[in-house]
Amino acid sequence: MDADPLKQFLQAEGATLVGVGDVRRALSQEIMHLGRGIAIAVNRGLTRDTVDLLMRLQALTEGWLRAKGYRSLSIPPDSDRRMGKMISKLYKLFCHKTAATCAGLGWIGKNGLLINERYGSKMTWATVLTDAPLATDRPYVSSRCGDCDLCVRHCPSGAVQGHLWSLGDPMREIVSYDKCRSLKSGRTSLREKPNCGFCVTVCPYSRNGGEQQKAG
Amino acid sequence: MADEARKKEIYEKLRTGVIQYDEDACREGAQEAVSEGLDANEAIFDGLVSGMEEVGRLFEAQEYFVPEILMCADALYAGLDILKPHCKQMDLGVKGSVVIGTVEGDVHDIGKNLVKMMFDVAGFTVYDLGRDVPLDKFVDEQLKTDSELVCLSAMMTTSMVGMPKVIEKIKAKNPNCMIMIGGAPTSKELADKWGADGYAEDASNALKEAIKMVAFLKKLRDEKIQKK
Ligand code: B12
Ligand code: SF4
Ligand code: SF4
Repeated sequence: MDADPLKQFLQAEGATLVGVGDVRRALSQEIMHLGRGIAIAVNRGLTRDTVDLLMRLQALTEGWLRAKGYRSLSIPPDSDRRMGKMISKLYKLFCHKTAATCAGLGWIGKNGLLINERYGSKMTWATVLTDAPLATDRPYVSSRCGDCDLCVRHCPSGAVQGHLWSLGDPMREIVSYDKCRSLKSGRTSLREKPNCGFCVTVCPYSRNGGEQQKAG
Repeated sequence: MADEARKKEIYEKLRTGVIQYDEDACREGAQEAVSEGLDANEAIFDGLVSGMEEVGRLFEAQEYFVPEILMCADALYAGLDILKPHCKQMDLGVKGSVVIGTVEGDVHDIGKNLVKMMFDVAGFTVYDLGRDVPLDKFVDEQLKTDSELVCLSAMMTTSMVGMPKVIEKIKAKNPNCMIMIGGAPTSKELADKWGADGYAEDASNALKEAIKMVAFLKKLRDEKIQKK
């Protein structure tokens, strides 16, 4: 089933990137029948407006699929903050970065974030899972960070360890979230911003509005 | 007051709202039921719950999977949140306190919550232990609160086997406590076999049964006190 009409439709509605991945290897039993992940990204930070835009794009995707007789499940962009509903219990079963790598939209950098070749790690992601047999894009199977280690050197908490991601080794801890978190909680008491984010800004892929290619 | 046809229309809206996991439709239908003065209890059971029954059928026919069921449950609760405060407070002459929960290994709590709601509107004090409740917790909570009644819910044949164990333990510690069981796989026969005092197939019958039991208990106690 051709995915291009859906991609063009979503891009016309404001999506920056849309890809389709075969995500079966990452699914738990409850959602095993939803073998395709549609990864949708917009080139903006995680704000209320971004969330609203992404959720609108998800609703449009669901409608598009439903009209063709297929099932879908939307995992909202801020899925970790959505609680209290029955369906929200399923959200933690699936991670947006998985859909994005499977859909060929990037790899997991040494900074643990999804790196898109063009936009770096400044994107915000949402996923729609579906049982529609959409044609899939070619997945990323390994890191393209190479010898670069800017984020390792600049991380003030020593959380970024410098490991290279590969699809074959998904359980490896790339960033020590405890260390990263300890820095953030220490900072809230001062007047500094609680979020650090050096690992995003230092990455050559993320710089200059994301349009520039990798430095050196 | 809405006429018969309009009432049907609203109940149908609630029912299809649940089936099509449309939270907005359920909220809207519930709002209409309230503003047009329909009986909230009836709207819940003939509208929302009847929809959930159809969802169960679709699940069995493998037309629906777990995500759909969860979304249907969310839609049901969206309507229930609006209707619940409008359930008429009933004065049935007897009030008691009740411990309720879904037994260990079972996370189905929609039915249990409806039964709980009926007790709430009847003015009972309800100690809700939630779902997937360890069997001993029922025993402890009954002793702690000295409730006249314990209600056990199970929706699976695999989890309902925990019921006789709870019944036995509670009866050993407190023979006067009344126990009622319910949920789709249970039956009057099983209740008798396991030594439960009551069984009901739906929430309103659960309340009727409970009132009979509590009234009976209170009578027993009064007689005892008089004899002393
Ligand atoms: C909704 C649902 C779910 C939801 C539950 C959401 C929730 N928070 O409750 C989710 C998706 C989580 C779920 C999960 C699972 N489910 Co399920 N689920 C259902 C479904 C479709 C509907 C149940 C329901 O809510 N009915 C509506 C309410 C209003 O009715 P009710 O619960 O019967 O309650 C009424 C009466 O029974 C009574 N009552 C209830 N409790 C009590 C207590 C007392 C004291 C009294 C007096 C009366 C009483 O009053 C209530 C109101 O009138 C049923 C199918 C069906 N047709 O029943 C399957 C069903 C119960 N599930 C089943 C199964 C197998 C599962 C899973 C293992 C996963 C799977 N493979 O689907 C897991 C189990 C997880 C676990 N360990 O518990 C099977 C159980 C089979 C069996 N015989 O053991 C069923 C029967 C489906 C089937 N045909 O196979 N499920
Ligand atoms: S946010 Fe800061 S502390 Fe956390 S991993 Fe990135 S650079 Fe390190
Ligand atoms: S800064 Fe360099 S190593 Fe770190 S994620 Fe970006 S490209 Fe990879």
